[in-house]
Amino acid sequence: MEHFALWLAAFLTLGIVSFLYKDNPWYKLCEAIFVGLSAGYWFVVLFWDNIYGKFWVGVFPLEEFDEAGREITAEPDYWLFVGAALGILMLMRLVPNIGWISRWPLAFIVGSTAGLYLINYFSSNMMRQVQGTIVPLFGAGYDASAYAIVGNIVVAVGTFAGLVYFFFSKEHRGVFGGTAKVGVFFLMLTFGASFGYTVMSRMSLLIGRMDFLLGDWLGMIK
Amino acid sequence: MRRQIPLFITFFVGTLLIFSVFIPPMETWGEDFTLFFDIIAVFAFFLGGGNLMRVHFNKLTRRKQDWTYSIVTLAGFFFMLVLGLLKIGNPGGIAASVTAEGSWFQTMFNDVLNPLQSTMYALLAFFVASASYRAFRAKNREATILLVAAFIILLGRTPFGMYLTAWVPESFSVLQIPNLAIWIMNSPNLAGQRAIIIGIGLGVVSMSMRLILGIERTYLGDDSG
Amino acid sequence: MLARLPKNLPGGVSLILPFLFICFSFSPVLSQGIEAEVDTLDPAVPDSELVVAAPVTSLIASDYKYDNGEVIELSWVPSIDDQLVGGNVIGYSLYRSENDGEPTLIAELLPGVNNYTDEGLSRLSTYRYTILTLTVNHETPSTMTAPITPEREWINFDKKYLFLIALIIGGSVMFFIETARRGKKLFVRKIAGLEAVDDAVGRATEMGRPILFIPGILDMDDVQTLAGLTILGRISRIIADYDTKIFMPVSRSLVMTAGRETIKAAYQAAGRPEKYSDDMVSYVTDEQFGYVAAVDGIMVREKPATVFLLGAFFAESLILAETGNYIGAIQIAGTARPAQLPFFIAACDFTLIGEELFAASAYLSDEPKALGSLKGQDVGKALAMVIIVVGVLAITIGQAWHVDFMMSLVDTLTNIFSTK
Repeated sequence: MEHFALWLAAFLTLGIVSFLYKDNPWYKLCEAIFVGLSAGYWFVVLFWDNIYGKFWVGVFPLEEFDEAGREITAEPDYWLFVGAALGILMLMRLVPNIGWISRWPLAFIVGSTAGLYLINYFSSNMMRQVQGTIVPLFGAGYDASAYAIVGNIVVAVGTFAGLVYFFFSKEHRGVFGGTAKVGVFFLMLTFGASFGYTVMSRMSLLIGRMDFLLGDWLGMIK
Repeated sequence: MRRQIPLFITFFVGTLLIFSVFIPPMETWGEDFTLFFDIIAVFAFFLGGGNLMRVHFNKLTRRKQDWTYSIVTLAGFFFMLVLGLLKIGNPGGIAASVTAEGSWFQTMFNDVLNPLQSTMYALLAFFVASASYRAFRAKNREATILLVAAFIILLGRTPFGMYLTAWVPESFSVLQIPNLAIWIMNSPNLAGQRAIIIGIGLGVVSMSMRLILGIERTYLGDDSG
Repeated sequence: MLARLPKNLPGGVSLILPFLFICFSFSPVLSQGIEAEVDTLDPAVPDSELVVAAPVTSLIASDYKYDNGEVIELSWVPSIDDQLVGGNVIGYSLYRSENDGEPTLIAELLPGVNNYTDEGLSRLSTYRYTILTLTVNHETPSTMTAPITPEREWINFDKKYLFLIALIIGGSVMFFIETARRGKKLFVRKIAGLEAVDDAVGRATEMGRPILFIPGILDMDDVQTLAGLTILGRISRIIADYDTKIFMPVSRSLVMTAGRETIKAAYQAAGRPEKYSDDMVSYVTDEQFGYVAAVDGIMVREKPATVFLLGAFFAESLILAETGNYIGAIQIAGTARPAQLPFFIAACDFTLIGEELFAASAYLSDEPKALGSLKGQDVGKALAMVIIVVGVLAITIGQAWHVDFMMSLVDTLTNIFSTK
């Protein structure tokens, strides 16, 4: 059985890699297997995790006892019926004349996402980052090295110029345009840094698969 | 009315959750609503899964191009549903976790899905190489900056980078590639990241407000229903 | 038995009682009482071999401010025998008594620890705490804290500045929306990636090939997906006008539903509802790379002339963008995930960077109100820029020349922008 699994994995691995040459029946077969199995897999996992684990157990909590044998069963959370009701409304889409009701749960989701993200993103992205940029250019005790001073200046100037680039209300011309160009310079450096940082980890993924093919499957490397 | 009610729901729920952050008794409402979302998403899967079946059944019955692969997709989908929902081949029976080690369901994940996922992910190595090549060929200033920074960081993370600039005197050690890479990550990279992140924070505020106020409402469809 | 304090006492008595309580609790009688209660002493060890440590002192229980009445904070001074060198304390056991009931162990703490946050409490109960200082064979109890009930606060004043700044920026967005609604023309500079949308759709129309729209791999509970869908709304209008074919494979069922509503509305608005079909949007799989495998397949088989990648993307960003590049499609991408932006920049023709993704739908919209919101966004940026300049200069000058005024300004700014 283990042997079969190994060969199957190798078959699937090579099938996916074959896409790099061109689209072909082998890849199409792997793709079909991948889509079918994974769609089923995720539905099952979500069903047991969310419908059973979160909804059912939330409404009808399982009996639990602590080490001393005292009952510590959670209180039933009947609010979860709201979630289930919205879920059922979603299915109204399948009923021809009242399909529009399915917009209610959609509206609920959009409203809650917008409400939750608004303050959370504002707090973590805007407030915290602005606060983090307020650092002394010459170090805490006027004792920073030239290396650190240049670094601090770069962080302050770069953040400022980057924000100028994102400004929508003013054309990028004159001094403003020049500053925006400095902003672009910093953004490109940032993207380059992220790019370079990721390349190695991507290579290690390939090495992992090569290790499987040449080691686990073919036994060419130990 | 068909649009007014959803618009009101969005406004009401959105406003409620904004204020919930500042009102301690309502602080957990965000988590509760996320729980509702998780439940709704599973119900919605009946629509998604239904669509998947419909598309492939259509392909199959109308003998469209590549219809034979639709048989594989449908078979795989139903197979996993039956294995997982009924917990067939699960050593712990119906009471055990569906992903318990040794269950047929989890074995399918380990032996079939896992190699597929890993290989698809590993393809990135080839795509990173081709993207780098394209960036290398680009002749504008922005692409050059991106490439130089990427190259320094890449070298800085390998022993080769150290080897290349080992001759640089200690007093100029900042110019040694590994140190330069650290400096780029900690200074200009940080500045760029900050500008992007602050912008995103403000962008989210503005877009969320447009959604809550009903200025963005295309996702709700047309009035005819 | 544990010593119990009556609940309502006259002022003078209530001042004296804690003092008496502290003195009394150090007496062997009460110590033995607590020890007996929690069964701590090992009778097999002779007294002469006992390693006895001093108890923790100043154990204080206080209500956690600005919560729903579920948290109590505890602080104490560790035992004087809790030393790295020459100390004999091996840890602490924290006990809690609810409504003067039996104390139960709630936490075992390492030496050196001097605070604990007790969460998940009820505001209908009163709580008292004690700590046992542990040595290898002995446990020394501290005094018991006075009874405390966690209190609920209705407004979190810790977040007053967050509220204030959010109000300023939210207010600016509202102000400019209202200004635009009244008909005032607002200027917004050109954004290259969005200027290209018309051409990209036109190209697909001319070539008679479809447009592929990929809204990322997250669900409707991610704001980037919502941004992608709002842009889809604008693009669909152009597509409906040009009568171009669009295909949108998705990895989430809810996105499928919302995507269909969006495109359908655009066709309706363009006066061509009969041209719309549910087949334009189809669900593939929730699995990240399964979805990518399928979309890659679609790309090489259908050869779309234009690919939009707008939403939340992870590692798959480059696989999709490179495949799109390989088939020669014009690609317009956008995401708010900084780690994926470099790959889009390298592989796509136009990239909407972070904030531009959220601004795109407003920019493409023919509604002045939407455009007004972008102005409000700029007020936020201007505020951030001013604070950065003022803050950096103030802290630099303040520290270099010890200017108190500057330092207090920095403290104020840091305090305002700190988020608890």
